[in-house]
Amino acid sequence: MNLKTHENNGTVVVSLAGEIDLEHSPSVRKQLMELMFDRRDVLVDMAQVAYIDSSGIASLVEAYQMARKNATRFVLVAVSQPALRVLQLARLDKVFALADTVEAALAG
Amino acid sequence: MQRSDPAQILADDLDLIAEMTADFARSRDIEESLRVGLQHIATRMEAEAASLFLMDGGSGDLVCHACWGPTDVTGLRLPHGHGIVWRAVNSNRPQLVKDTTTDPDFAQRIDDATGFTTRSILCAPMSVRDECVGAIELFNKKGAGSFDDDDRRILQALAASAALALINARQASAMAEQEGFRRELALAADIQRAMLPPPRDADFPIHGVNLPARGVSGDFFDLVELPDGKLAFAIADVSGKGMNAALLMAKTASLFRCLAKRLDGPGALLAAIDSELAETNSAGMFVTMVAGVLDPALGRVVLANAGHEPPLLCCGARFERVDGGMPPLGIDPTLFMAGCPESVVELAGGALYLFTDGLTEAKDEDGRMLGIEGVQSLLAQYRTLPAPDRLEAMVADVAKDGLALRDDLTMLVVEDRR
Repeated sequence: MNLKTHENNGTVVVSLAGEIDLEHSPSVRKQLMELMFDRRDVLVDMAQVAYIDSSGIASLVEAYQMARKNATRFVLVAVSQPALRVLQLARLDKVFALADTVEAALAG
Repeated sequence: MQRSDPAQILADDLDLIAEMTADFARSRDIEESLRVGLQHIATRMEAEAASLFLMDGGSGDLVCHACWGPTDVTGLRLPHGHGIVWRAVNSNRPQLVKDTTTDPDFAQRIDDATGFTTRSILCAPMSVRDECVGAIELFNKKGAGSFDDDDRRILQALAASAALALINARQASAMAEQEGFRRELALAADIQRAMLPPPRDADFPIHGVNLPARGVSGDFFDLVELPDGKLAFAIADVSGKGMNAALLMAKTASLFRCLAKRLDGPGALLAAIDSELAETNSAGMFVTMVAGVLDPALGRVVLANAGHEPPLLCCGARFERVDGGMPPLGIDPTLFMAGCPESVVELAGGALYLFTDGLTEAKDEDGRMLGIEGVQSLLAQYRTLPAPDRLEAMVADVAKDGLALRDDLTMLVVEDRR
């Protein structure tokens, strides 16, 4: 698992790569929650996510719930096929805001 | 034999060490053992008074836990610093002060406060190898003389024995606590198992199996007989693992049991459970769940799905996924406000399988996930077995000996028994 962040016009872009499983979800969760506590707008670039399990999904759900409460933006961007299949299977594609590219998400 | 006989002295000291160790092992009260141990040591060393200090993990202070003699300074804290006790601890060597008036580290203020006159001090660290847990300090050898180098060696040995006995006692106490926690976990697992419906005869239309990966489970299935002869059933998987998942599972299972008889259909049921969970749920936790109602007379199932793995309809050699549904429960209270869609499945002599991702994501020896294809091939392999045996065979195949489950595994089968 690899996690990188950078800023783009005041929005934080978190890029996830590799396997987001029980072992790695806690660090993803920690990073996302810190950003949520700071009330930042966050895009999660999931283009390089090879696998995500229910613990990874739970981290995204928790961030989603915080963003909703704080009225900040939380968008999943360029979600890879394996990750998208998991989201679709749980019908979470109807819950999260999704965007094809970082540019589209920033414009939206 | 005389007290001065070296062999007899050695034998006495060994007896003392043995007695102290046994006392620590026997007693459940470590503080009391410390007091008794200190008393034995002070008597053996012919000291007028003695104190035992232990390192306080939180503050890093040395705190007096036991005293013997005319003054009692139990509870006295020595912050990290100089002093003779700290000198013994920091250097991990005994300190012999034959005349306190010549030692700059001697704390006269304690004598001033207690009224005791300290002439000489012998202080040894309570340490085993590099682990120092405290120190034993002796004041004034009885009679006119002071402590000497022989005393220093003996106290060093006695203090080390006391440290070993204390470390052992602490470990035993930690193990007892862990054992208590394990017992509570086992009790929780028993309560959870009791929440699952009891096994039925093979010709009953619905059967389930639940195999927790740990003691307690975040999965459940349940079955409620409705007054009109229909059967309400559910399977669910709580996100996360461990005790918090088990507690949310218990809550969801109770809601299902309570609401199944009152509400009209599985869609209304899931929407009602979502509304209850949304009010009190902790952040980031959610529940994927399928609820259904079987009309055994028609072989017809009405299903509602909240973010759960799609059920699999099996007719002969043909498999069909029952897609569609809503996101999981407990995420966002607005999602289910407009209700939850239902789908109707005609069993037509076949069987409907519901399972948690503990089944599809189970890995074989080579780390390959079973997947939906693997589930289908196992179902095909065991299709001739009666339903309860079929589920057991599937579970046994996935959770082979030595292959630990990564996740709770739950399966439910709904059959057309017309």
